[in-house]
Amino acid sequence: MDFDLTADQQRRYDETLAATREQLGDAPSGADGYFTRQQWKVAASLGLTGLCLPTEQGGGGLGALDTALSLEAFGRGCRDTGLVFAVCAHLLACAVPIRDFASQEIRDGMVSGLASGDVIAANAMTEDDAGSDVGRLAVRARRDDDGAYVLDGEKSFASNAPAADAIVTYAVTNPKAGFLGVTGFVVPRDLPGVVVGEPMEKMGLSSCPASRVRFDNCRVPEAYRLGAEGQGGAVFQHSMAWERACLLAAYLGAMEHQLARCVEHARRREQFGRRIGAFQAISHRIAEMKQRLESGRLLLYRGCWLLDNGRDHVGAIALAKLAVSEAAVANSLDAVQIFGGAGYLSAAGIEQQLRDAIPTTIFSGTSEVQRELVAREAGL
Amino acid sequence: MSTDEISAKVTAFIKERFLSGDENKELEDTTPLLEWGVLNSMNTALLLMYLRDELGVVVPPTGIVAENFKDIRSITKMVNDLGSPQRATVAGTE
Repeated sequence: MDFDLTADQQRRYDETLAATREQLGDAPSGADGYFTRQQWKVAASLGLTGLCLPTEQGGGGLGALDTALSLEAFGRGCRDTGLVFAVCAHLLACAVPIRDFASQEIRDGMVSGLASGDVIAANAMTEDDAGSDVGRLAVRARRDDDGAYVLDGEKSFASNAPAADAIVTYAVTNPKAGFLGVTGFVVPRDLPGVVVGEPMEKMGLSSCPASRVRFDNCRVPEAYRLGAEGQGGAVFQHSMAWERACLLAAYLGAMEHQLARCVEHARRREQFGRRIGAFQAISHRIAEMKQRLESGRLLLYRGCWLLDNGRDHVGAIALAKLAVSEAAVANSLDAVQIFGGAGYLSAAGIEQQLRDAIPTTIFSGTSEVQRELVAREAGL
Repeated sequence: MSTDEISAKVTAFIKERFLSGDENKELEDTTPLLEWGVLNSMNTALLLMYLRDELGVVVPPTGIVAENFKDIRSITKMVNDLGSPQRATVAGTE
């Protein structure tokens, strides 16, 4: 067993950290508060939008562990976690299933655009009545005489959708087949019948716009199907394995940055004539933050390693996702407490970390679903 | 293992785990398990683990399609077709 990064991994991490700090450190969002095309292009120029896409299409050709390490550096270096999340969702929930399941006719051209930053992708799975239970989708896709699919119905929460050029989505093609009657598609935004809603206000990740997406009699040529008919559930689970493993790595980076700020603050701030770090109430809180961060990191690296090696990974990745997301929330609460009044005020950026951490226990499968997966693996 | 034995084991597993014992004895070998939601994504994962650990049959990803899981008869046929029992492994530690 070897816990060291290789020289290549360390170099890539250091370069990504330095570049994101310099070029996206506190990059201002657009006038509307959402990320800009310019920021997206900067992220793409650093290779972040195509980390795990094939090198032949301009991607980085990285596996899950190396992708996670780069996203960890991105999350540590960039203070706009909404932008980090947007890039991750584009890459992991969308580009990964396109890479692995799109028809050859569509794949190569689209993957090049996804890697280069010319194409932004959004994942539209969640519906009003289908959150964790994705077998209850209401969006339907019926086959037309010419082989095309006609999509009808509405998705209720699609991150990136207002900015997206392509939408990865899932629809029922065989209502009698339950969760095995679902099929995946990548739908170009400009197809007639794609209706993207207004951005919705939300608690955190505010620079990443999210909206409803409606399909009104939307004809999607067969070439845009992902995988076989009825394989949508498997396509989606595959994308979620990558997202749970690699997206949460960005939060390891954000926690690393947060912990460093807390340590710096506890060493400098004095109350009752002592540095607050000299009070056990603060020092032990920081020790626990470190413990959560490091244990989540080990679980996440192992989950990625299992994924890269083609091994059973569902339970391990569920454990990692659960550990890192719950750590992100707990550590963010601790950071607010350590900073006190300054942590509660927005200017210091500490309370924003909490608002950006809360969604981690909901997206990519809730903590409740992760615990179910873990319990199942334990033999319950 | 004969198809009758496979069918009996699969039926018993589904009754006990997903139908609270099926006291009204409603489960038949043509009951539409997917359409009625008896097999959802969570339950199917449990069934796959049962097939792997108890019957020694690993269903490949390409085999996880509606045709193979629509009812007990289809599941039995699939298990039978997948043939000779393979060594059961523990997740992530083989």
